[in-house]
Amino acid sequence: MKMFLQLGLILLAFCMVATALLAYVNSFTKPRIEAIKLKEAADARNELIPDSEFEEITGDLSYYIARDKTTKEIKGYTFTAEQIGYGGPVKTMAAVDKDFKIISIKVIQQTETPGLGTNATLPKFTDQFKGKTLDQLTVDKDGGVPPNAIKALTGATITTRAVANAVKASIDKLRASVSQSPETAALSDSTAALEVAK
Amino acid sequence: MSFIKELTKGIIKENPIFVIVLGMCPTLATSTSVENALGMGMAATFVLVCSNIFISLIKNITPDKIRIPVYVVVIASFVTIVDLSMAAFIPDLHKSLGLFIPLIVVNCIILGRAEAFANKNNVLNSIADGIGMGLGFTLALSVVATIREILGNGTWLNIKVLPETYDPMLITLLAPGAFITLGFLMALMNMLKEKK
Amino acid sequence: MKDKYIVSSAPHLHDKTTTKNVMWNVVIALSPALVFAVYYWGFRALLLTLLGAVSAVVTEALIQKLRRVPVTVSDGSAFLTGMLLSYNINAGAPWWMPIMGSVFAIAVGKQVFGGLGNNPVNPALLGRAFLLASWPSLMTSGWLKPKSGALSGIADPDAIAMNLKALSPKAFDLVTGATPLKVVQTLRDSSFVASINADAGEGIDLANRIFTNITEMDALKNLFWGNIGGCIGEVSAFALLLGAAYLLYKNIIEWRIPLFYIGTVFVLSFIFGPIKGAGFSPMLPFFHIFAGGLMLGAFFMATDYTTSPLTKNGRIIFAIGCGLLTVVIRFVGGYPEGVSYSILFMNVMTPLIDKLTMPKAFGRVKK
Repeated sequence: MKMFLQLGLILLAFCMVATALLAYVNSFTKPRIEAIKLKEAADARNELIPDSEFEEITGDLSYYIARDKTTKEIKGYTFTAEQIGYGGPVKTMAAVDKDFKIISIKVIQQTETPGLGTNATLPKFTDQFKGKTLDQLTVDKDGGVPPNAIKALTGATITTRAVANAVKASIDKLRASVSQSPETAALSDSTAALEVAK
Repeated sequence: MSFIKELTKGIIKENPIFVIVLGMCPTLATSTSVENALGMGMAATFVLVCSNIFISLIKNITPDKIRIPVYVVVIASFVTIVDLSMAAFIPDLHKSLGLFIPLIVVNCIILGRAEAFANKNNVLNSIADGIGMGLGFTLALSVVATIREILGNGTWLNIKVLPETYDPMLITLLAPGAFITLGFLMALMNMLKEKK
Repeated sequence: MKDKYIVSSAPHLHDKTTTKNVMWNVVIALSPALVFAVYYWGFRALLLTLLGAVSAVVTEALIQKLRRVPVTVSDGSAFLTGMLLSYNINAGAPWWMPIMGSVFAIAVGKQVFGGLGNNPVNPALLGRAFLLASWPSLMTSGWLKPKSGALSGIADPDAIAMNLKALSPKAFDLVTGATPLKVVQTLRDSSFVASINADAGEGIDLANRIFTNITEMDALKNLFWGNIGGCIGEVSAFALLLGAAYLLYKNIIEWRIPLFYIGTVFVLSFIFGPIKGAGFSPMLPFFHIFAGGLMLGAFFMATDYTTSPLTKNGRIIFAIGCGLLTVVIRFVGGYPEGVSYSILFMNVMTPLIDKLTMPKAFGRVKK
């Protein structure tokens, strides 16, 4: 009995030292890591819509409004869309212009099958999203006809769907959210906004 | 003398993958491309050397009965500290290797070497063992990855090596392909050993 | 010589059956299907089959040389494996496809485990699974149209197709470009059904029209004779039944596995076959037993001696399991056809089934 107690206490001591060390390391690395993450996200946004300043809007869908640095005119929106793919959630970062046409997308996080689903991260796949509008985001296997559809990856239709449908759903939400907010609608080019509202 | 011996044994004679069959999960998961294999191999070698030093240092103050939980705590905390520090101070390296760091916690090679070697040997030999085993792991991983990447993707280290007309054999990139490749390589190792 | 003196316990059964005899008889039984395949697709089908069979024989001989064991290719088992593998690929497949499949089937499916009698799963099916995982797009598309018919087996494709082309290009592509099981699988996709019905306009239930056409008598006749798109050896149910009758007559295969396998598929497709939104057809169970590779699988692959249970009750369990899995894969899985995977899965279960159903030795008291 005494031995068990002794061993338990020794293990406890090890754990306490380990925990203390971890807490100490965490205390000074956490702010740095978070700052790096924020900077990376900002860099990614800048890459999608260059020369802009971003304003974050939180809500049903969190997104960023990109405004031109000098004219303050709305250039577009960026957001992160997520849907379950074949091997877990697939996160896609996308940028659309003020008419909700896709500027470009980037698959930022996925755990898909190597060699099949992971091809979704390649430019060969993501480039086909450029310039697509909301109704052109149907996967060809679901009845869309290219070039007005997304061509499914070989052997990875589910991954393709996860990317295309997530982006599609998010644009839908974005459109609703933008048209509801009078401030942003007024700021954007009025004819384009009307076009979209239809 | 014994330093050199401990250093070289892990590369062929006691290769952690082909001979001791340790660390199968990361082997199967990260051998899809040579780039991944090298990343995983280097990260694992680094952690292995450090954990061997630690374990070798604390071997005298650790009671025998609870050594395994102690090793697990030591290795897991150590890996986490490496992970956090890398993310905070060398983010570029963390981006390419960071993916593999959490995987190393469950890499049996680390615990296996702690139990089989570092807790019985001095610090210097433990360092040699860590480097040797790490190199053997990296080497074996790269061999598996070379076969899988060339057959499954037509590339080697992202360089196109097979003609455009080659239709990649996708199975080599999937789990069954990993098992089959590994199985054939082990058979080859055994065959060569028998010949000797 | 030493093989002649086998010491074993009673009963000592003697029979003229030899491995050689059995294997070549199965090859004979499989040949009508090849005749039909050549009729529908030309000599390409024969060429692919020969490539598969010959490369299987060569692989077996080479590996046996390498293993320093007697070369036994004349027993026909490797030839049969290669032939069955080729029967499982599309007549439009590239020439190297049967070769790759056969090499894998023999090397990894059979010789690695120690050769004939030691393989845990059917080597030909393993070869097919390998091809399907390696080249999914080549294995599931590019079907060749049979000589006088449509891929989907719909009796008068032109009449319906012309009409369809105007109504919905998507539906037209489906009916002219997919195998029967693929058509039915696609009709299970409610978003597809909604989209083609929307194309066709108000009042036309296009999905139902396709479903009715594919299960009507004329289409079933095409399925029975093999005038459809599919793998080389699986299309003609008639030719396969002819071969199966020969094997049953020769006592080479036993009736339990095929009967219970096909019976399970028949019953389950009667219950679960109807598709919501596309209608019901009384002929559906017949469609499901004649379509795809069920006949080939049930008579020629599930009955493989090494990989099916030894006991009679075990065989029934094995066959029902195959049927159940086939239906599950066809109706809810990602692939249109599930015969090969279901047999592979039940092959792995075989030792377990044998253990559970082994009869008690006479006189032994239950513990």
